[in-house]
This record gives sequence, C-alpha cells and structure tokens, in this order.
Amino acid sequence: MIELLRNTSHVHLLLNHVPTTAFVVALVLYIVSLFNGSDALKKAGLAMFFLIAAVTIATYTSGSAAEAWLRGTSPKPEFPVNVVPAAIREHEDAALWATALMELTGFFSWLALWQWKSVKRLPAWNTPLVLVLSLLSFVAMSRTAYLGGHIHHVEIRPDVVDRHNACLALVDQEVKHPGSVPNAPENCSWQAAVDEIKTAPDAATDAAGAAAPNMARQLGDFVIGHTWMWPTLETLHFVGLCMLFTVVLIVNLRLLGFIKIVPVSAVYQMLPIGMIGFAVNLVTGMLFFVGIPSQYNANPVFYWKIVFVLLGGLNVMYFMLVDDAWRTTSGRDVSAGPRIAAASAIFIWVAVLYCGHMLPFIGNAF
Amino acid sequence: MMGLLQSIESSGFSQWVKQSGSLWAFPGILLLHTYGMAVLVGVIAGIDLRILGLMPAVPLAPLRKLMPLVWGAFWVNAVTGTMLLAADATSKMRNLDFGVKMAFIVLAVIAQRAIQTRVFGDPDLDRQPFSSNAKMLAAASLACWLGAITAGRLLAYVGNPGGL
Repeated sequence: MIELLRNTSHVHLLLNHVPTTAFVVALVLYIVSLFNGSDALKKAGLAMFFLIAAVTIATYTSGSAAEAWLRGTSPKPEFPVNVVPAAIREHEDAALWATALMELTGFFSWLALWQWKSVKRLPAWNTPLVLVLSLLSFVAMSRTAYLGGHIHHVEIRPDVVDRHNACLALVDQEVKHPGSVPNAPENCSWQAAVDEIKTAPDAATDAAGAAAPNMARQLGDFVIGHTWMWPTLETLHFVGLCMLFTVVLIVNLRLLGFIKIVPVSAVYQMLPIGMIGFAVNLVTGMLFFVGIPSQYNANPVFYWKIVFVLLGGLNVMYFMLVDDAWRTTSGRDVSAGPRIAAASAIFIWVAVLYCGHMLPFIGNAF
Repeated sequence: MMGLLQSIESSGFSQWVKQSGSLWAFPGILLLHTYGMAVLVGVIAGIDLRILGLMPAVPLAPLRKLMPLVWGAFWVNAVTGTMLLAADATSKMRNLDFGVKMAFIVLAVIAQRAIQTRVFGDPDLDRQPFSSNAKMLAAASLACWLGAITAGRLLAYVGNPGGL
C-alpha cells in the first residue's frame, strides 16, 4: 500500500476520481439544498466543495508527475506505444482550467461557511456564485476526465473511432459488392487506426521531436521567460506566508489558551486574512509549478508539502464545522477537540513551511 | 574594512555555513530565519491590520502578551541573519539591496517600538477609536515589513559585486 502511494502515477489515478465522482455528490447535495432549503445539506455541499478543491491541488500536481514518468528522462520523449502525447497536452490544458475553477469554487465555498457563522446568514450573491462556479467546475473537470481517458484508452479517441468505422464501412461495402473497393482492408482494429495516427506526420511536432507548447507550457514559459517574474512570485509567496501565519499563530494560540482574554468569536474575524494568504500562495505556487514542473514532480519534499497542505485543508474544515469552540467567550477555555486541532494546525503549517523551504536542499528545486 | 570582511568570510564557521553541505548549516539557518520572519511579521501584521480597522471585535490590549513572541522571533532572526551575513560578508556588504533591507528593518523596529509605547501604552486602548497617528504608524509598519521581505527575497537574485 505504502509502496503504491510512493508511485505518483498511481496516486494520480487514485485522486482523479475525487474532482469528478465525489464532486457530483457534492453538486447534488448543494442543488437539492437550494430546493428544499436544508441548511445541513447546503453546509455539507459547501464543505465537500472545499475539501475537493484541496484534493484537486494534489490531483493536478500528481498528474504532472505521471506525465514525467510516461515521458521518461531522455531528451526526446519516448512514450509507450499506445499513448498519444498530444492527448496528454490537451488533458493538461483542460486540467489547468478545471483546477482554476475548482479552486475558486473552494474559496467561495469556504467564504460562505465563514460568513454563515459570523453574520448568521449568507449574503445574497454567494449562493448563486458558488452554484455557477461549481457547475463550471463540473463541466471543465468532466472534460478533463474525458480527455484524460484518451491518454491510455486510445481506442476511444474520436479520431480512432472514426477511422475504425470508416474501415468497417469499406469492408462492409466489399462484402456486399465484391470488387467495388479495390484496396479493401482485410481486418479493422483500433490498433491499426492508432498506428496510422502515430505514423502520420505530426504537424505539432518539430524536427527535434519537441511538441508545440500547449497552454500550460506557454504559461510556464511566460513565468520562466521573464527575469522579474520568479523573484516577484517568490516575494508574494513570502507575503502570503506571513498572512497565513498571522492567523495560524494568533487564532490557534488563543484556542490553546495563551491569550484567553480575547474572545474566540473575535479572532474568528481574522480567518479570511489567512485564507487570502493561502490563496496568494496557491496561485504563486502553481505558477512556480507550471514554470518548471520537473523541479517538483519528482521531488519527495514537494510530495510531503502537498500531503501537509491536504491535512491543512482537513484541519480548516474541522474548524468550519464545529460551532461551540467559536462561541467561547473571554477568559474561557475551549474543549479538548478544538485544542488538539489547534495544536495540529500549528504543526501542519510549520511542516508545510519546512517542506517548502527544503525543496532546493533535500529535493532538486532551486 | 574589506580585509575584516574577508577574514570573517574565511573563518571556519563561515566556511561551514557555506560549504559543508550539511542540512544544519545554510539550509537550517535559513529555515530558522524563515520561521522567525513568519512569526515576527505574521503577528505584527495582524496587530497592524487590527489598528487599521480590520477585525474590529478583537481587543488589542491582550495581544500585548504576544510581544515576547514577537521579540523572540526578532532576536532569532538577528542571530541567524548575522550568521548568514558572516558566510557571505564581502558580497552582502557591497550589495545595495542588503542596505535597503537593513534600512527597512531599522524603520520597522522604530515603528514597532512607537506602536508599543503609544498604542499599547495608551490607558484608553480598546475604549476609543485609534488616532490617525496610530493608523499612520500601523501603515508604516506594514509597509516597512513588506519592504524588508521584498528586499530580503531579492537578495537571492541581485548581486552587486561591483561595489556599493
């Protein structure tokens, strides 16, 4: 089991069901709640949107690792015989859009849960916004899954199916009217169609065998092609880190009882600062990732960083779904559960920072 | 001056930091420097944003208790920063960006001390709105820490061996 989880390609195949299948469940819960007015269902839907958005980060990054594994390390990529490289590039572009939409859905779902507790009701714009974003995410993610299926299941690619059907039609015609098709093929198979596609000159490939850059690669080239870009992103990443730590420290120290005079309901107001800090770091972090994926997708420290980010997401959702702790007034202690979660939160974000810092020293990033 | 910097840079300690390859050397010291920054700027930024009007329900007076944490983090960074400087003294001391970073930190510390005496020392703290002076100090503090982080981050990219 552990060995399987060390294989990032396997992890991708495992996780890619979450933003698709699990998301359908979340979407159904959310839409039903809009009709029957159930707060519990709506909260469940919003919480699932948030958690799925967290898993989507790991799904995207593990996908890049799976691509690197398929491509191999030789300068001229050598993909397995039934893999069409163009399918990977299409899938990656679709995934980038879908991930962006999914993260927006997650952010506004979290905001809805936060506003629910602080202002007791949702502002009118949030519910339709989350509905639109989640529907768009669903469409974009379904398209990503469809295109992802083509990477290994070449037999269901539309062009393969078309050629196969055309071949069958020729054979059929020859059977009905012998002699009418001089060069009728003897047998039709998807493998023959794939061979035909793979041997046809690829307009998107240059003489050195390099593919034309897809959208994800163009974005990556923009990031690494401008000298000001990387330092700017690094600086923003550090500012986001400080915003996140502002909240992680003050809120969790209060929950642990260090500044007990401050009511917990008051520090609740700080949470959006931390979430915005995380959003800044997610965007800048993803730009680093698409800039030079090879620095991260075979980097064990990055793997652990993503694991801790996922744990951080779970930790946040625990705090969004407990109510009692946030009602704690001045001078009072919170119960054991939230205290353990608060200590875990500090540990998790210290670990995320550790992994991020060690990317170049233990792993291979710079 | 250059001779002194060179002898610092060639000391056993500096060589260990720079060239030992140990995770406890450059990576570990820089890690502590980053944790120090997260705690120092994190907590101060929270207080500054509170003074500027965000999170109005949070009473400020009890946050005074966090000051030992803030100054602890400051001294961690002063010590680790000095270690990192010793390892690279000749080029850092000639790097304009390093001077900019130090200037921002000096100004930020001045602003922080002023906030501690004027805002936290105010007996009416949390009972009346903040004066525009307090808000100016908070804004200046935020801007200086932002400047220090930016200049510090850029140290990894801008070298100026040609001299200041």
